[in-house]
Amino acid sequence: MKNTYVLALNFFVLATNVPAQTQWPSLNGDESGRRYSTLKQINVQNAAKLAPAWKFKPATGATVVKGTPIVVDGVLYFTVPDHVWAVNAATGKEIWHFNRPSRGDRIANRGVAYYKGKLYFGTPDAHLVCLRADNGRKLWETPMADVHFGYYMSNPPMVVKDKLIVGISGDAGDVTGFLKAVDPESGKVLWTWTSVPKWGEPGSETWPSQEALLHGGGTTWVQGSYDPELNLIYWGTGNPHPVLNGRDRAGSNLYTCSIVALNADTGKLVWYFQPSPHDTTDRDATESVVLIDGVFRGQPRKMLAQASRNGYFFLLDRKTGDHLLTTSFGPQNWSLGLNKRGEPIPDPKRDPSPAGTLLQGSGTNWWVPSFSPATGMFYVNANIGVWSLTYLTNGAVQGGLDDHQGGRESALSPGDPALLALDYQTGEVRWRVGYGNPAGILTTAGGLLFTSNSNYLVAMDQTNGKTVWKTNVGGPASNAPITYEVGGKQYVVMSVRDTLYSFVLPE
Amino acid sequence: MKIRLAVQLCIGVVGLAAPLAAQGSRWWSWPADPDPQAVERGRPEFVRSCGRCHADNLTGTAKGPNLIRTARLRKDADGTAVAAVVRAGIPARTAGGSAADGKAMPSFQLADEAMSDLIAYMRWAVQKYDRVSPGAPPDDYPVERLLTGNAAAGKAFFNGAGGCNACHSPTGDLAGIAKKYPPVFLQARFLMPRPTKPRTADVTLPSGEKVSGELKVLNTYDVTLVSGGKTLTWPAEQVKVDVHDPLAPHRALLPKYKDDDVHNMFAYLWTLQ
Repeated sequence: MKNTYVLALNFFVLATNVPAQTQWPSLNGDESGRRYSTLKQINVQNAAKLAPAWKFKPATGATVVKGTPIVVDGVLYFTVPDHVWAVNAATGKEIWHFNRPSRGDRIANRGVAYYKGKLYFGTPDAHLVCLRADNGRKLWETPMADVHFGYYMSNPPMVVKDKLIVGISGDAGDVTGFLKAVDPESGKVLWTWTSVPKWGEPGSETWPSQEALLHGGGTTWVQGSYDPELNLIYWGTGNPHPVLNGRDRAGSNLYTCSIVALNADTGKLVWYFQPSPHDTTDRDATESVVLIDGVFRGQPRKMLAQASRNGYFFLLDRKTGDHLLTTSFGPQNWSLGLNKRGEPIPDPKRDPSPAGTLLQGSGTNWWVPSFSPATGMFYVNANIGVWSLTYLTNGAVQGGLDDHQGGRESALSPGDPALLALDYQTGEVRWRVGYGNPAGILTTAGGLLFTSNSNYLVAMDQTNGKTVWKTNVGGPASNAPITYEVGGKQYVVMSVRDTLYSFVLPE
Repeated sequence: MKIRLAVQLCIGVVGLAAPLAAQGSRWWSWPADPDPQAVERGRPEFVRSCGRCHADNLTGTAKGPNLIRTARLRKDADGTAVAAVVRAGIPARTAGGSAADGKAMPSFQLADEAMSDLIAYMRWAVQKYDRVSPGAPPDDYPVERLLTGNAAAGKAFFNGAGGCNACHSPTGDLAGIAKKYPPVFLQARFLMPRPTKPRTADVTLPSGEKVSGELKVLNTYDVTLVSGGKTLTWPAEQVKVDVHDPLAPHRALLPKYKDDDVHNMFAYLWTLQ
């Protein structure tokens, strides 16, 4: 596996020598976050013939399958909150089902991690659970955070060498975010990095008080990426607290709404970049941090790209954190431009106010994007030109705070959802298809892009956005598409509502 | 009098407490969500005895800490830990203390039932703090906060730069508009009303034939119209669609509002009582 990954990372150079990756062993297929598969049995020429292979509707516990499956050794594993299923990846027949009831936020569970015959997943009450992959029996569990403060786990850990990197969800109780490295054998925590610095350390000067910092937010609820050569973990962090009230937290509020690079062995911060300094409208920067190897202005570079929730596309040098490119992929009225680091400068006039502030924004969210090394395009389902009124409501009663939001947002106009193909070197929109869905994206060496559009599951030509296959099974995709090969056959799997759907080429 | 007031409070606020409890399954909670009746019984006791230092919503004041963020309240499964503190008070850490009895927090002697009601209120306040939705402000959002603009300037915008008078009139469709809606709702809806009429479209078929009707579906792949009582669907790539959106002027105006225009317009519309 590891060899396959290293080769895949150098795809630009070694395009013809790469063995096809038949498995889909982690949330995004590999640690690069690109969601690009080297499989090409299904391709632009034949995808129109795609037909249903099997479907799987969990018998219990699922109203919407938001989890993205993984596939290892012919077995597909997926989750909904409190539940894990193992399913034969070729037939869709259930192998085992695990259920651990809990009380906690069950808005979503995104899947499991696999490492040496064991599975790892997070629960609504913020426990990390280890199961045997062959029979689903629990080996151990350990709390990652205190559910009493609204913490929960929606994402599975990311496997980095011999460690599990665990992010955390939940912002209701004014908590701070963190990443933990956990020993996959024992569940022991090996290091912890918190999303806010310790009081007195560098970065704490971006908070007005220790009290504000200790309740500053920055959860880590979307999976990051990893560069084995640099031994750096990359992760996006969530919004600061209170969410809409910036008055009680003057400063840029590091390391919330940031992209951070951590040493994988120690958890020490190596560099940071802040997509939304002093955020006051929930524009967290947790979206996928995608590793790109290629050229930039004629020079070969190791890069990192993020299409952020604030409507900006960022391209960074991932060794140094140096900023290469910041472009906007939709209109907004809250930014005064860019600072020297390439970070947007928020306009204080656009902060939520008691009388209401007219705000326009564009952006994306947790649904994962994809980068295709074959086209050099970064694909993202975005929402363009959303209008709202934002209110600062704190202080309505004595005590200053009303709630963890600190304000309200009144929706005016929902914007235009669209699938965008961005040129990573310029940020330019090379093509666009309207009526995008809030769904993940997969690209393949078959020249295809799989996602959901107009409530159809679709395959498009990744060079131009032309639809080559579509099927309507009752709504938009509720997770991200994956692909794998079992028994010489390539499968594509996506979920709609409470069911997983699998597609293959007919015999 | 006292009893009547308690009953009124009960009726008035039960509606607030109930939805929080109903959402229980999505959230962490104590073994049971607080009973809405107990919450309302506990509220006056908390406001009377605790609110002065901890704020009525538990978020703290200069005199007393934020209780929303305390582990003691959140992790107290059966309420005994909180009850013990309320009954014993907290000894002053520094000489003198802050309360009359020399304690940092005075003690309060409550019967078991009153204590359980008090704790129900505190738990409800934690849930309210945690679970609040970031959506539109409540309908009772004070109009004083919204009235920062100038009505005369708003009127000028209405008849001038905004071009609102092309479709609307203060003595016609907008007469008494300020009486019809809560102020915070009025502010959002003059900017972007909720549609009262459906979108319509003219669809030009490959033959050149035109069909008009109510637009039901328009996306990358499908166009569906209801025309003459019939539902008609075409592949989007084969037809030309001209959409008539009754809210188009409002959409076009959004990027043109300057900061003050919104507040001036609201101040003007608020005069249309």
